Amino acid sequence: MEVPLESAADEVTRLRDCLNDLVSITALPALSTGGEPGQILSTLLDALLGMLRLSFVFVRLNDPEAGDSIQIVRLAESLEGTARAREISEAIDSSLGDAPLNRPPHVRVIIGDVDLSVASAHLGLQGQNGLVVAGSERRDFPSETERLLLDVTANQAAIGLQHARLLSEQKRLEELAQRRRTEEAQREGERESRLIVDSIPGLVALLTATGDVEVVNRQVFEYFGQTLEELRQWGTNDTIHPEDLPQVIEVFTRAITSGSSYEIVQRFRRSDGVYRWFSNSGFPLRDANGHIVRWCVLLTDIDDLKRAEAELRRAYDHLAEAQRLSQTGSFTSDLATDEHCWSEEFYRICEFEPGSKVTIQRLGDIVHPEDVPLYEGAIQRAIAGTEPVFHFRIVTSRGVVKHLRGFAHRIADRPVFVGAVQDVTASRVAEDALNKARSELAHVARVATLSTLTASIAHELNQPLSGIITNAGTCLRMLDANPPNVEGARETARRTIRDGNRASEVVALLRALFSKKEFALEPVDLNEAAQEVLALSFSELQRNRLIVQSELADDLPSIIGDRVQLQQVLLNLLRNASDAMVGVHDRPRQLLIRTEREDGDRVRVTVRDAGTGFDRQSMDNLFEAFYTTKSDGMGIGLSVSRSIVERHHGRLWAEPNDGPGATFSFSIPRGPDSGTDAAPLMRHS
Amino acid sequence: MGTPSLVSVVDDDESVRESLPDLLREFGFAAEAFSSAEAFLASDVVSETSCLLLDVAMPGMSGPDLQQELRRRQRDIPIVFITAQGDETVRPRLLAQGAVECLFKPFSDTALLDALNAALRMR
Repeated sequence: MEVPLESAADEVTRLRDCLNDLVSITALPALSTGGEPGQILSTLLDALLGMLRLSFVFVRLNDPEAGDSIQIVRLAESLEGTARAREISEAIDSSLGDAPLNRPPHVRVIIGDVDLSVASAHLGLQGQNGLVVAGSERRDFPSETERLLLDVTANQAAIGLQHARLLSEQKRLEELAQRRRTEEAQREGERESRLIVDSIPGLVALLTATGDVEVVNRQVFEYFGQTLEELRQWGTNDTIHPEDLPQVIEVFTRAITSGSSYEIVQRFRRSDGVYRWFSNSGFPLRDANGHIVRWCVLLTDIDDLKRAEAELRRAYDHLAEAQRLSQTGSFTSDLATDEHCWSEEFYRICEFEPGSKVTIQRLGDIVHPEDVPLYEGAIQRAIAGTEPVFHFRIVTSRGVVKHLRGFAHRIADRPVFVGAVQDVTASRVAEDALNKARSELAHVARVATLSTLTASIAHELNQPLSGIITNAGTCLRMLDANPPNVEGARETARRTIRDGNRASEVVALLRALFSKKEFALEPVDLNEAAQEVLALSFSELQRNRLIVQSELADDLPSIIGDRVQLQQVLLNLLRNASDAMVGVHDRPRQLLIRTEREDGDRVRVTVRDAGTGFDRQSMDNLFEAFYTTKSDGMGIGLSVSRSIVERHHGRLWAEPNDGPGATFSFSIPRGPDSGTDAAPLMRHS
Repeated sequence: MGTPSLVSVVDDDESVRESLPDLLREFGFAAEAFSSAEAFLASDVVSETSCLLLDVAMPGMSGPDLQQELRRRQRDIPIVFITAQGDETVRPRLLAQGAVECLFKPFSDTALLDALNAALRMR
């Protein structure tokens, strides 16, 4: 390089300045700290522009990865406005060529109307990173030092860029690694959470702070059989039982609004359409600042529990109801420790406060004074180990007397018993009333039958008596005649004797009927009994113009029974049949009495009339006391008749005929041998 | 003494049919006996009968039935009922329906004669 001598001092100064500049450039902070390539280059260009008093400096930085290049131009003030960076770039490209290594160290370039000396240096050993171009109006540009400075600057730029690239690459890798670690940790956490959430024996859902369904566990999908999107529509798609929905919406909305947890029992529809009961509880998840970030919802299937609960409740209600209806209480009693557990009904029967403490003494205190020995006896027997059947009365605090009946069953080695106790007061009272009514009825029936008999007896006796008196009167008048009609008198006297005998026969018949003071069992020929009753009733039946037909079986066996009672039954049936036909004028008043042998060693008697009959509806009432279809009847005959037949272990029934009228029949076993014990017949009240 | 008045007896009881005509003849009446109302109506003595001794209860046509039938035929024969049924309520009812008397069996011969005389006076 040619250097004028006279400027040696200047040269020294310039060298010193150059050194300073070199130091300045290498010490530029942007080069060592890394940073954006554009920033590094800008700093270098600014430094170069100032140091070398350049008209412009240009840098092109190739980015080997992206393929694009960065171009930066710095212009001296004198050149500003006269040329643009793109023009400089184009001019440089056209004068320097594309191949970096073949570029001439310096050329002359006309940019706009300015003639410039231009020098270039490449970035990177092969110039692969780009190039730096500096231009000056000075003809001598670049001097040796300027060339040096330009190369150093380019080198520094390349180093700086490299350094920056390394730094940024390192940083990028670090960030990448960090991100990978974070993601991995996050994935791991999610896997764990998912595992935990999916393993929970319940349905779990996470909602957003505003209550929208965000995440649900596997169980939720399996139960509902819905997609996440469908689950979000729970308020409108019958996911919740329609009856529960309004309340659920209200509770849920209030919880979301107020931020407090909730719990509600409701029904959710399963994938098969069946609604099951769930406990639905939700609570908010908050961040460090206490703001709600999510809601966690747990759904627990309590359907089986609920069902069992309902079943238990129903069973309990049924038991209580059954105890109430049957007025039966139950109890468990430990007689050794005097500890007792009573059912509600037992408390009610005793009129004790439900649930109050019960002791042997407390119950003993309300036992009827007359029954205390019965009560204590039962307790003693139970303590001794027998299973007691007890029956005693209590007097409640209201003074009500109740009959209690019960039994207990031992369930342990000690005297611990399970038992039942029933309030039988009503049935006892009813039984007493029934007995009373029955004996009253029997009395009324006897009186009624007696009055019927009296009328029959009177009629049967009056007929022969009338004949006797008439004949006797005639006889006297014949004897008083002049001359006396002896032959006529004899004839009338003969008739008098005949009628007297006839009256005597009636009396004998009555005696046969009533001679037995005690009701007793004896062999009874029902044919004979029926004939006697027909004979007794003959005039009455005749008066009512009945056509009486009897079909009495020849082979009828005798039965063992009370003759008079059975004749009362027959008389009653005949009288009913006769009464039923009084109003009949359009057809024969036919009455049939039939006896026959029945299978099973029984005898049947049938009385069939052609009267007004009865309809099927009233059949059940026929045998009730005081039920009557007759305007002047008392309605006791059939009820008493049935009780008589039943005392003979027989059966009395009625059937409407196919035609007009009705048929009454009774059937009784031959006797004690063929049936059951006839002893109750003796117990006549 | 002219032709005796005819008294007809209608009763289903044989002893009455045997005994009463003899007594009536002792009283001086002519007497005929019939075992049923139907038999009496079928006989030729209906128009000649001055008084009817009529049983109340009989198989077939009863005493009151015969009374109505005679009234329907405009045979106004005085009727004395005789009954073995000791029911006091029967008498006023029969009297109200136009019977001369109602005698309860057994009755005395004088009671019968009084009733017959009362009946014949009505003719």
